[in-house]
Amino acid sequence: MKLLLDVGLVFPVLVAGRLLLALTNLSGVLKHNHQLSSPLTSYLNLQEGIYLFKNGIDPYSGGVFRQSPLFLALFTTVLPTSRTACSIIWTLCDAIGAWALVQLWRARQRVAQTSRDGLIAAAYLLNPYLFLSTLALSTSSFENTLALLSLLFAARGLASPSLLAAALLLQLSLSSVLLLAPSILLLASSPVSQLASPRPFVGNGKKILPLLAEFLVYTTVLTLASTLVSSGWAWIPQTWGASLTLPDLTPNVGVWWYFFTEMFDHFRPFFLMVFSIHLVIYVAPVCIKFQYDPLYAAFVLLGVLGTFKPYPTMADPGLFLSMIAIFPEIYPYLRYPIVTTLLHLHAALLMPLFHHLWLNQGTGNANFFYASTLVFACANGAALTDCVWAGLRIAIGEPQDGYVVVQE
Amino acid sequence: MPIHWKPRFLWTLLVPILSIPRSLASETFEEELTIRALPDGKVASRFSFSTLLEGATPRNPQNLSAEDTSQHYTLFPLALGQILREYAVAEMHLTLNAGKWDYERWGYPDETDVGSGAELWAWMGDGAGATVDERWRGLRNALAGLFCASLGSLDELRTTSPAFSFAPHGGVPDAPLPLAIRHASMPSEHVCTENLTSFLKLLPCKSLSGIASLLNPHRLFDADWHGMGLHVAWLPDEGVQVRLTFQSVADPLRASLSKRDWSFASMFDRTIDRTCPSTASSRVIVALPLNEAYSIHPQPSSVEQGHAIFDLEGQNPPLDVSMQWAVDFDHAAVRPRSAEAPLSVRRTLQGSSQDLGRLSVFITNDGTADIQAAYLETMPWIVQFYLHTMTLRVDGVTRDDLIQNISYIPPIPHARAMTFQAVLALPARSTVHLSIDVRKAFLRYTEHPPDAQRGWDLPPAVLVPLGIGSGVERHGRRIYTPTLLVDLATPDFSMPYNVIIFSCTLVAYIFASVFNLLTRRFVVLHAELN
Repeated sequence: MKLLLDVGLVFPVLVAGRLLLALTNLSGVLKHNHQLSSPLTSYLNLQEGIYLFKNGIDPYSGGVFRQSPLFLALFTTVLPTSRTACSIIWTLCDAIGAWALVQLWRARQRVAQTSRDGLIAAAYLLNPYLFLSTLALSTSSFENTLALLSLLFAARGLASPSLLAAALLLQLSLSSVLLLAPSILLLASSPVSQLASPRPFVGNGKKILPLLAEFLVYTTVLTLASTLVSSGWAWIPQTWGASLTLPDLTPNVGVWWYFFTEMFDHFRPFFLMVFSIHLVIYVAPVCIKFQYDPLYAAFVLLGVLGTFKPYPTMADPGLFLSMIAIFPEIYPYLRYPIVTTLLHLHAALLMPLFHHLWLNQGTGNANFFYASTLVFACANGAALTDCVWAGLRIAIGEPQDGYVVVQE
Repeated sequence: MPIHWKPRFLWTLLVPILSIPRSLASETFEEELTIRALPDGKVASRFSFSTLLEGATPRNPQNLSAEDTSQHYTLFPLALGQILREYAVAEMHLTLNAGKWDYERWGYPDETDVGSGAELWAWMGDGAGATVDERWRGLRNALAGLFCASLGSLDELRTTSPAFSFAPHGGVPDAPLPLAIRHASMPSEHVCTENLTSFLKLLPCKSLSGIASLLNPHRLFDADWHGMGLHVAWLPDEGVQVRLTFQSVADPLRASLSKRDWSFASMFDRTIDRTCPSTASSRVIVALPLNEAYSIHPQPSSVEQGHAIFDLEGQNPPLDVSMQWAVDFDHAAVRPRSAEAPLSVRRTLQGSSQDLGRLSVFITNDGTADIQAAYLETMPWIVQFYLHTMTLRVDGVTRDDLIQNISYIPPIPHARAMTFQAVLALPARSTVHLSIDVRKAFLRYTEHPPDAQRGWDLPPAVLVPLGIGSGVERHGRRIYTPTLLVDLATPDFSMPYNVIIFSCTLVAYIFASVFNLLTRRFVVLHAELN
């Protein structure tokens, strides 16, 4: 059993297995899947953008390509675009993500190696939400890896790499700006688990402003680089703007698309504003409440993103679920993990089925798929609230006989 | 006193009206009916009514803000003239067709524009105070009112600017401004009697006399194919010409299996009882069969190059031209493809999914020479091309070298249509298979038409053979492909409230649960034991 969980063995074996899987023709089938890639992360759209870019047509003059110009720069110069090569790149990206998660766990435990390392690597590499998205060549794999790298560097106190990774992540996905606050708090304090012993923020508060300034510098530079690559500012409304105005209503696993499909035209701008602000509202309370453990705050915000992001894919809640592996201290305080698991199972099985019935078979209608995305949102919400509960409840510990723990 | 005052006042009013100088040039009206038998036994007839406003030029769009010169016409339709002046239209073509023109069996039509449904394109001077798009919108709506057609739906979502395939017919005025084209087509438009009624109102003799008296809606709309057109062009050295056309393909074999004989009475259920007094020329032209025995009645005024010409002036009314063949029609002798049109196009949208599909175009060149052709696709944004999946095959062999000069204007969701144009090299005696993956868009529920499940009609593609014409027509005539129907995914139209309530409840529930946990503290209480 010990041998099985040894990271030195588990990690290469899993990566090799994933590479083998990547070389099969699965990606050809999965790349069209709406649950695994959204219009903002789809490989087909990326290829179309690269094709247009190579042929001298501005990919941002239309509405098909909505990925960052950085992808254009990378895939037209350094990286190959053939599907096999891409499958390998995507899988290696996942391997880096898994490695970052293991390192994050070690940094949190302040040890060089633990017996859980292999389990954590497996939790990332074998999570079906994550590896199916990677097989579908969704660029959300890059977002996840960048998010983990940003947190890892922050946990190790490497300010510049962490902020650079966060700035890159912001280029790929506007909503990930939520992770900036906990990342900076993490840089200013430590990643060690403080959940069981809450205390006021102990880090160096004076570091926050310079860190924020550094992040702004990186973001400005990357934005200018993107503008240079795409020779114009048109990419901003097409990529970041899409997260705010939702021009493409292709079904996905989130709660936005059907809501805005069915929304009355004159209320659309109002509700777009409400849904966008709703995401930002979580940042301050979560960071204040978990000020003693910013890594946990980042984890909670990843859960929020996975549930309420404008164009989510399976990979977004997948990252949140895999990250539960590095917080084993909360397990005894989870209230309904089985219910959450069953909800996830229910949604994960019904979503592809109802999606197929609606769009391919023609025997179901949009409500079928919508209902299953609601269940999926319930599952993500249940996981989120349970993790928040457990992360707070752990501070009280097990009550003695004759005492009960209640909320004020 | 008041009794004397009134007539004098009227007289003073009348003087300036009568004394307006007739500075405007003269107008000529000509009408013509061409009838020809098609290889498969059907009969194509083409009515053409043209009014020439001699010496006139299109209005300069720079003067749009200034008051226009007053318009006085005798034959030229005033309702149309006002529209053309108001929006400073240099050239304009409107066609309303029903059915699919079968190039393979019928060859080229007499009038080129045979795309199914409504098609409108106009050339206008660009750069004036009122933009081309504003005037295009106005033109659309004005014509919609004039022709009782839903041309108002030819909105920004369907408007494109395919300048190459729709080059101006007439001359380009020496205006200081460059011309810009706007084109839109609406394949689902149904052409019916109300369109013909407003069409006839533009003629000087309506349908009371002359060739126009044959335009009997009961028969015309019963034809296998019919279409009407309005063409306005500026002819250098001549003036502004308005041409109203009506084409139909009647089937005499429908009544009897072997006799393809026709007459005005059998095709239109009418005869020409009197001539229109306003016409400068009024002719009926019948194409005579080449190698078959036939008889034509009455005696034509003249015969030129295999065409019998009846001048209405010289004929005794009522005129009922009829044609009889000596032998019965041999269905087996019909050749599947007319040699006149060497190109034929088959276009389909494949895939049963409401999410992705594949556009597949087969272009066959039956001729003995290679042909270069410009291929034009204009699509509303609901269908988006994945150009990187485009492949060209000839007999299963990939030949990407056959496509060149791709120009592509990508669609913008909810705002702009797509234009894809390329030059294809079509090798002799072979079929080129072009295929492109397409993505079908998901629309807001308010963007669906009332009959959403029916699907969306997509405009026809246009193929223009290049460099095979001579003289003024450098390129061959446009070939329209049949239209397509795309099946888009529909949301549930009955429950916007339910969706808003469900989604909001879920968001509020999760939000509240998280905030409940974050804002309330945990306390340890001593449990009271009862």
